[in-house]
Amino acid sequence: MALAVKVSSTMAWRNLWRNYRRTLIMLLAIAVGVWAMIFLTALMRGMVDDMVKQGIRALPGHVQVHAHGYRDDPSVNYCLSAPGDVLLNVLRGQQIKAWTGRVKVPAMISSEYDNRGITLLGVDDEGEIALGFDRSKVFEGRFLNGVDDQGIVIGRKLMERLETRLGKRVVVMSQGPDNDITERGFRIVGIYRAELESIEDNVVYAGIGVVQQMLGIGSDISEIAVLGFDYQSPERLVSQIRSVAPDELEVLSWLELDPYLATMMEVMNGFVLVWMVVIFLALSFGLVNTLMMAVFERVREIGLMQALGMRPSAIVFQILLESLILLSLGLLLGNLLAVATVIPLKDGIDISVVSQGMEMMGASSVLYPVLLWPDLLLANIVVIVLGILTSSLPAWHAAQYRPVEALTKA
Amino acid sequence: MSAIKCKEMCKFYPQGDAVIKGLDHVSLDIDQGSFICLSGPSGSGKTTLLNAIGGLDSLDSGEISINGERVDLLGKAALADLRLHHIGFVFQAYNLIPVLSAQENVEFVMQVQGVPAHERRQRSHKILEEVGLEGMENRRPAQLSGGQQQRVAVARAIVSQPKLVLADEPTANLDSRSMENLMSHFRELNRSHDVTFLIATHDQRVMQWAERRIDMEDGRVIRDELRRTA
Amino acid sequence: MASTQRQSNAVGLSFRLAWRNIWRHKRRTWLTALAMIFSNVLLVFMISLQFGSYEMMINNSLRMLSGQVQVQMDGYLDEQKMRQVIAGIDHLAGAIRQRVKGVNVAARASAFVLVSSEERSFGAQLLGVQPGHEGGVSTIPGLVKHGRYLDDTGAAEIVIGSVMARNLKVGVGDELTFLGSGRDGSFAAGVLTVVGVFHSGSQDLDRGLAEVPLGYFQEAFAMRGSGHVIALATDELDSVSATLAALGPVIAEHDGLVALDWEELMPGLKQAIQADMTSAWFMYGVLIILVAFSVLNTQLMSVLERTREFGMIMALGIRPRKLVSLVLLETLMMALLGFLIGMFLGFLVTAYYAHTGFAYPGMDEMGAKFNLPSVIYPSLGPLGLFLGPSVVLVFCVLAALYPAMKLYRLRPVEAMRSV
Repeated sequence: MALAVKVSSTMAWRNLWRNYRRTLIMLLAIAVGVWAMIFLTALMRGMVDDMVKQGIRALPGHVQVHAHGYRDDPSVNYCLSAPGDVLLNVLRGQQIKAWTGRVKVPAMISSEYDNRGITLLGVDDEGEIALGFDRSKVFEGRFLNGVDDQGIVIGRKLMERLETRLGKRVVVMSQGPDNDITERGFRIVGIYRAELESIEDNVVYAGIGVVQQMLGIGSDISEIAVLGFDYQSPERLVSQIRSVAPDELEVLSWLELDPYLATMMEVMNGFVLVWMVVIFLALSFGLVNTLMMAVFERVREIGLMQALGMRPSAIVFQILLESLILLSLGLLLGNLLAVATVIPLKDGIDISVVSQGMEMMGASSVLYPVLLWPDLLLANIVVIVLGILTSSLPAWHAAQYRPVEALTKA
Repeated sequence: MSAIKCKEMCKFYPQGDAVIKGLDHVSLDIDQGSFICLSGPSGSGKTTLLNAIGGLDSLDSGEISINGERVDLLGKAALADLRLHHIGFVFQAYNLIPVLSAQENVEFVMQVQGVPAHERRQRSHKILEEVGLEGMENRRPAQLSGGQQQRVAVARAIVSQPKLVLADEPTANLDSRSMENLMSHFRELNRSHDVTFLIATHDQRVMQWAERRIDMEDGRVIRDELRRTA
Repeated sequence: MASTQRQSNAVGLSFRLAWRNIWRHKRRTWLTALAMIFSNVLLVFMISLQFGSYEMMINNSLRMLSGQVQVQMDGYLDEQKMRQVIAGIDHLAGAIRQRVKGVNVAARASAFVLVSSEERSFGAQLLGVQPGHEGGVSTIPGLVKHGRYLDDTGAAEIVIGSVMARNLKVGVGDELTFLGSGRDGSFAAGVLTVVGVFHSGSQDLDRGLAEVPLGYFQEAFAMRGSGHVIALATDELDSVSATLAALGPVIAEHDGLVALDWEELMPGLKQAIQADMTSAWFMYGVLIILVAFSVLNTQLMSVLERTREFGMIMALGIRPRKLVSLVLLETLMMALLGFLIGMFLGFLVTAYYAHTGFAYPGMDEMGAKFNLPSVIYPSLGPLGLFLGPSVVLVFCVLAALYPAMKLYRLRPVEAMRSV
């Protein structure tokens, strides 16, 4: 009972409200700081989350399997044969939500007016949808129907550039395995819209069977895309597939396939911490000042308490308790404020005025704040831990007075 | 047996160019159960002596021991414990913690000591009644008169049943009747519980109660005599 | 005369009084000033860093290929149709060169083609350029790592990006064929000799850009002397508006021509900067508000603890207005302290990083997306130096208004009675 918790907390609480204006201002400052910590973090998390989702959808999947050399030179020359029984067994396992094989080659598309360089995707429509292609994004016409669908689905932007439309014919040229130019006419059966214009401009879908036939590669594919259940930790999935994949295949997670995204996530974690600490530091001066003032005004009481037999450590404890109450109230207020501002924004913030800028970063033009428990916890821990640390300065200071000095101070 | 032994205590305060002699080679022996009045003009060193014995102030030189323990060698925490468990203080001014009520002020020391709540309540009630403050338990110091505040301070000093009470002008704000009450209360405690009292005062009427009277001037003891008391 | 003398005495007195007042609580004043110093250093550094990185982003993006201003047919930017041509582009480029001073001018034509080597074929953007002028607008001619850049405007030569060279498995001296459609929709094809391979560091360009001489391009694509774009580069970004102004009368002589500045050419870049600015100012705003709270608290304390003193002064016949200005003057002094020291330290930190460069883990990958190198250099300029601290100063003085205004409601007698 050396710290006399009960009487100390009573005194800490009452002392806090002796100068209620000062306490309220400090409380407000802490609340604003905590709000800013959490709110901005939620926005940033939302942005990165969106980028990662877009990135994973564009890849697609959490893990991809390619032939060695394909990523460096994405041509038809680096193909892999359709997965064998052993690999199939793993791909149909519990860990995997969906998988699909795709042909993905650079190609050229021509309408009667213009031509463009594109990425031609030969896909299995069902597999593609399972991997995250959103059928409702096809706003005109339809998505592919089966692996031998004779049609082609292009993006809205590409349609504009080619001055073509639904039902028109386009010619796709690409290179076969022996560098013979292969070409094929397709009828446009669907136009899709994507969050990123660069996707609309570049990615063209056709049936995998048709593309394989056009390129003359039999049943070979360019890649296997695999979707697991948790994008945060694809490592297990990778090692599982790697253990059964033939040596000439390269099995990589999205973190390795898109280092920009992976870095973005890391940088974001660092940024969140730096941001919280910076905000705390800006607060800390006011906090120390407030407590210093409080100690300064109460020097004689502190002397009295020491004279009555309160140990210096108990004095430190009492000042820290006062700071802890102040911090906790500020945190409570700040957390509530943050939640109250994030929740109404959960349907997204329209930032389409800078959509092209966001696209450069790989994010779409609607920002969904994402409030994560660990972030919330981190903000609270930063404030409490650093708050107590900084408060120990004035608290220690308070315990340094010799009782007689303190008592006789005017 | 001697409860407090002081040897060659010195304490000087520089003030501007001059040096104020708080204690100038003071030696004293105080027996357990003494009832002593310290008198002398202000600035004569009474308060310095009380503070030194209570371990509130450090000495420049000299020794103080209480029950054989060298007080002047103790650390801050140990001094705090000594005061908490053995010494009751009544200060000249500024005696109460402003954010605590009268009762809470009285209970403060017991609370730090860790006395259970019901016992604290009982003892604080009793003592506040004895000093004539029943019904004012929940008032804050700012709502009490100077005399009432002084009585709360006295109640706090004796409620934890210390072995030594150091009181600096405890009757300063009291009328004659309250003064008489207070002194007889002190004397009663002194006799029944063998509590040592060291009371610094200007008040001739208070001195009437003393068993032993010590006069100070310029930090020195100029007279130290035993008296027969009423 | 006498009255101005008295006035200046009074001003001197106010200053002395204010100065002494702020030092009555040394620790408090320093802590408050420290809050300002902290945020000022941060603001100076961050804003300079922002300016530095924007400048680098813009310069790297624009200097690489696009130039700061382009003359195009209206609508070409968005649609990029082969037929949206500027007729007699060589001539027009020459005229601009003559009439707009201080800029480099290069004419270009552009088409999407399928480029094939013996082994491979890829889609690419083929750019017809004026070999003698392109280097003044774009850094690509200088980035040729193997072979040489183009030199003859009619030759069947091509310069390609490093990734494309690798993918096509060709080197200097090898032949490429291209396949595309001409201005009139006709079949355009030809055989070109690779004379150079450039490496720009930008994946998109290294993978997808090839340059041929404009004269050859015009022949092959049936352009009949026309082209798509005239790119202009000035030495300084600041002179873009002057260039646009000078360009106005020249392009007004031709129907359907527009001059576009970099913000229009690369709206993504502009918006990325805007988005970054917005989030940055949100952060700065929070920082500044927190500092203002700190000042508010300090000044409120300082006013409240002097209530008696102020009451006494007012009882002497001093108007509240004087006291209000005294408190504001005290705040201003404290804020100036934070302003000057903060700016000075901010300057030191920024100057250090402007010298050594600033990098954080992960910047390589992030930077590549925005044409930024892996080390950025803050740009040390007066704007970056003053902007942040000035805003802090203003907000700090504003924050002191509330405690200062309380003095108007002070009644001398009550004030003197208070503790």
